[in-house]
Amino acid sequence: MLKTLVNKIAVKPIAALLLLGILSGCSSSASVQVTSEFPNVLSDPKPLSASIVFDEGFSTYVAQPNKKTLINLGSAQVRLLSNAFAGLFEEVEFVSDPETISGDHQLVIIPSIREVQVSTPSDNYLNVFEVWIKYNLEIQSADGETIDSWFMPAYGKTPDAFMASKSNAIEEATIIALRDAGAKLMLDFYRIPAIYGWMMEQQILEESK
Amino acid sequence: MKPTMTPTFKIIALLALTTLLAGCSATTTIDEYRPTGDAIDLSADERVVVLGRRDAGHYETDREFIDCVAKRMKGADIGVVPEQQFIDSIYPWFEPRTAPKGLPRLKRLMQDPLIKGQVDNQAVRYLVWLDGSTETLDQGGSISCAIGPGGGGCFGFAQWDKLSVYEAIVWDMTNLQEMGRLRVDSEGTSYLIGAVAPIPLLTPVKSDACTSLGNQLKTFFSAPEDS
Repeated sequence: MLKTLVNKIAVKPIAALLLLGILSGCSSSASVQVTSEFPNVLSDPKPLSASIVFDEGFSTYVAQPNKKTLINLGSAQVRLLSNAFAGLFEEVEFVSDPETISGDHQLVIIPSIREVQVSTPSDNYLNVFEVWIKYNLEIQSADGETIDSWFMPAYGKTPDAFMASKSNAIEEATIIALRDAGAKLMLDFYRIPAIYGWMMEQQILEESK
Repeated sequence: MKPTMTPTFKIIALLALTTLLAGCSATTTIDEYRPTGDAIDLSADERVVVLGRRDAGHYETDREFIDCVAKRMKGADIGVVPEQQFIDSIYPWFEPRTAPKGLPRLKRLMQDPLIKGQVDNQAVRYLVWLDGSTETLDQGGSISCAIGPGGGGCFGFAQWDKLSVYEAIVWDMTNLQEMGRLRVDSEGTSYLIGAVAPIPLLTPVKSDACTSLGNQLKTFFSAPEDS
């Protein structure tokens, strides 16, 4: 009698709770906070001064590449880009509001994010997680004239997603994508035709040689 | 009466076990190219860095494998700079986008006094690029597990083949030339037998590839006390 009662009353809720626990472990949602530190860039900055505007939207940016994924990128991308811009320009000023820029800088750069995309093993049929961050750099001269609006894509993927949780794997791929953004900026910024032309006009290339 | 195993049964059981375990060893082949047969002399203050290639689309040379090879080289008293430490110290010039794929690009990078200074500061004389991955080729069989009020268990048989292919290229960071190449292919089959409890018989394909590559790389260099 007691055995039947236990079977009917006690076991079912426990089994249901157990099943729920197991299934919640398989949940595919991920909320990622990127906390990594980034190394300083190894570079000889050019004799230029620039003001970089990290507005509030950028420095607190939370990407939602799909319904189940949130990536808090804001502070990490500010840390990364601060390092990278310090390696590009001899004098750099970081402000959060374009109104507070001091007037003696030759360039004003306003980074923004166009899009963040994530691809998981169920999307790409590979054992890797991938993250794309598409940046836009609005580059202006000191008098407010736009020199260029530069599209800067960055890409990162996990070395191996085996046994990694979805959140950890996306965080790792995001860190690699952010590092790639720094590499892209350092490698290509002075190759942007509009920037190259502007520097020739300002006779900056001759000075920095 | 207590059941006893006859000698014939014992021999058969032993043979079956030996056959199963023999099936779990990997077949490893190493190809090597270097201009001379002499080991590279490493002085006490010269070090090696082992880096993984991460620019391929569908795979990445995993850090676990790099660490494994680096550990084997360290075991032979060769000074090895940790991969991440080297990459961070020279950021962003050895990221997947910017890392030199050939010697001409390395020569251009080393013309930058800042980069050369960092390499010299860490006394990195040789760079070993590792490129490759471990993949599952074929898998067969099936195993199913069930649990009920009276207990549970797994029944069936599954097997899979794994192949590890890695290539190592050794660069001299002072003379900016290639010192040699190694390629390791390691293949093996693993089994999972479900006889109430699942019994895994795993072939350490990647571990074998690491051991073989690490040992072969050690022969490239003669550690300070050997020279």
